[in-house]
Amino acid sequence: MRTLRENPLLRYHLLGATRHRWRRQPWLYGAAVLGIGLVYLLVLQLTVFNEAGMITTLGLALFVMCIAAPLMAYNLFSLEYEKQTWESLALTRLTAREIFWGKYGAALARVALTTLLFAPFLLTTHRATTYVIVAAFIVLFSWGALLVSVGLWLSFKLKRTLTTAATLYAGQVFVLMLFPFLYALFSGGEMGPGQSAIEWVQNYRDGFLAWVISLLNGSLIIYANPFYASAQLEYMAAVPAWWWNAEGWDAYANALRYMLWGFAQSAMYLGLAALFAGFAYRGVKISWRK
Amino acid sequence: MLDVQGLRKEYGELVAVRDIRFQLYPGDVFGFIGPNGAGKTTTIKMLATLLEPTAGTATLNGIDIVRHPEEVRPLLGYMPDFFGLYEGITVTEYLEFFAAAYRIPKAQRAAIIDNVLELTDLTVKKDAYVETLSRGMQQRLCLAKSLVHDPILLLLDEPASGLDPRARIEIKELIRELGAMGKIVLVSSHILPELADFCNKIGIIEKGELLVWGAVDEIVAQLQANRVLEIRPLGEPDALIQRLERESHVHGVETRNGSLYVHFAGGLEEQADLLAALIRDGFRIAAFREESLDLEDVFMQITKGEVS
Repeated sequence: MRTLRENPLLRYHLLGATRHRWRRQPWLYGAAVLGIGLVYLLVLQLTVFNEAGMITTLGLALFVMCIAAPLMAYNLFSLEYEKQTWESLALTRLTAREIFWGKYGAALARVALTTLLFAPFLLTTHRATTYVIVAAFIVLFSWGALLVSVGLWLSFKLKRTLTTAATLYAGQVFVLMLFPFLYALFSGGEMGPGQSAIEWVQNYRDGFLAWVISLLNGSLIIYANPFYASAQLEYMAAVPAWWWNAEGWDAYANALRYMLWGFAQSAMYLGLAALFAGFAYRGVKISWRK
Repeated sequence: MLDVQGLRKEYGELVAVRDIRFQLYPGDVFGFIGPNGAGKTTTIKMLATLLEPTAGTATLNGIDIVRHPEEVRPLLGYMPDFFGLYEGITVTEYLEFFAAAYRIPKAQRAAIIDNVLELTDLTVKKDAYVETLSRGMQQRLCLAKSLVHDPILLLLDEPASGLDPRARIEIKELIRELGAMGKIVLVSSHILPELADFCNKIGIIEKGELLVWGAVDEIVAQLQANRVLEIRPLGEPDALIQRLERESHVHGVETRNGSLYVHFAGGLEEQADLLAALIRDGFRIAAFREESLDLEDVFMQITKGEVS
């Protein structure tokens, strides 16, 4: 806890730089906050009155996270190099752990704040069960955590702010759009594995097996897509009005539940996040001789 | 005490720093002189524990900088040649940041920050935002940051680069004061008059090799084994030149602006004997003096203008 509580770097990244941005262009930021606030309220109103499902609410939150999370981490280390401040920082008595948590902690706090901003949307999602709401929160946060972890590592590795930002956004386009396109290309135009791929899943053991199979047959690149995950979370909540086979649907929803749908993806995101964060931490420890 | 023992840095085939050795004691202000690319910054970065030497080491108060960088870091203050400052915070907040990062107890921070602000003459700017300071003030703030934990060794890499004349003078005064406070100060520069005023020791590095190091006076004295005497005769100098060329200590005579510049290998005794002999021989001498060496002369005599 001391690593976070008495960490001047965390304090600087959370408070110092933020206040500066406000102070420099108060009108710009004031207008932006007002504009975003109005859009926020408008979309919240639309969500509630139009009985929006999880595809809409979590999808919207994920879209914002995809845009915002890279901005929370893309310059954390690169600016130290670009502004030539890293040497002074490296020579202080801050440990590699404190430096790492000072930066990563600030980024994670912003991801958590963004997740909380979407709480009203997720909580008012139409016909969402507790399982689905909790899973949605975790998917949203863990996807953001993964993005800031990769951002933190790239920022350390590439040492260039713009290159890091470009790589993060291009990487997301690749993973979220090109992977599904490639999958569709090789599976005769199917956009996902579909109901038949997992309807045999009848318990948690089968659920685990389904994940292993998805890793082997390539459907994991679809299952791990947070937008696909959000769509299936909606289907778990209730049979869609357009579905023709309610009985079959129950089996599908149960299969998703046995696969710990949403939670399993989050575990993957968090695992990868820990891996990239570990790379960044190791980098600081070795390169900065900490 | 800083004891540098055969410090060497290689980048592939390139030897950036070649087995450097020197010792500095509290109160020493060491001018580290060399042309651009000579290896000054690499040496300083190794001493600052930011670069690992290929061979050799240094100890600061007995602590090995290679084996125990974490123990040495709190004892040194480092000001890089190109530096940046965290923006969006005030001068006081900036120093508080580093005070906290150096684990100075909260209760002591305010007093220490006041002291370094006073020392660096930044008290009036303590509430100003860092990015609004002039280049000279930012330089002083960087120095203040390096002093906040009261280091015993200060490594200042080109501290006066990019400063206007007033700011240069202020930085010089500050460095002199730091030396007087008993700190070991290592200042690198390629602008020699800058260092001449406040360094008691110098080291001249070229092509990664420390060509000479020691007290300024001693180095000048060593080099003055080959002195230049300026003699201004009254009347035609030809006869005097012929007379001088017969002297065993004289290695050459040049004529410039009516004066003779005599390359003389003897000491003060021999100089006095020469003057007495010339007067005895009837030469009328209007001026007879030894040309003194300054750091620039020393530098020019020692270096060849090569980089590593």
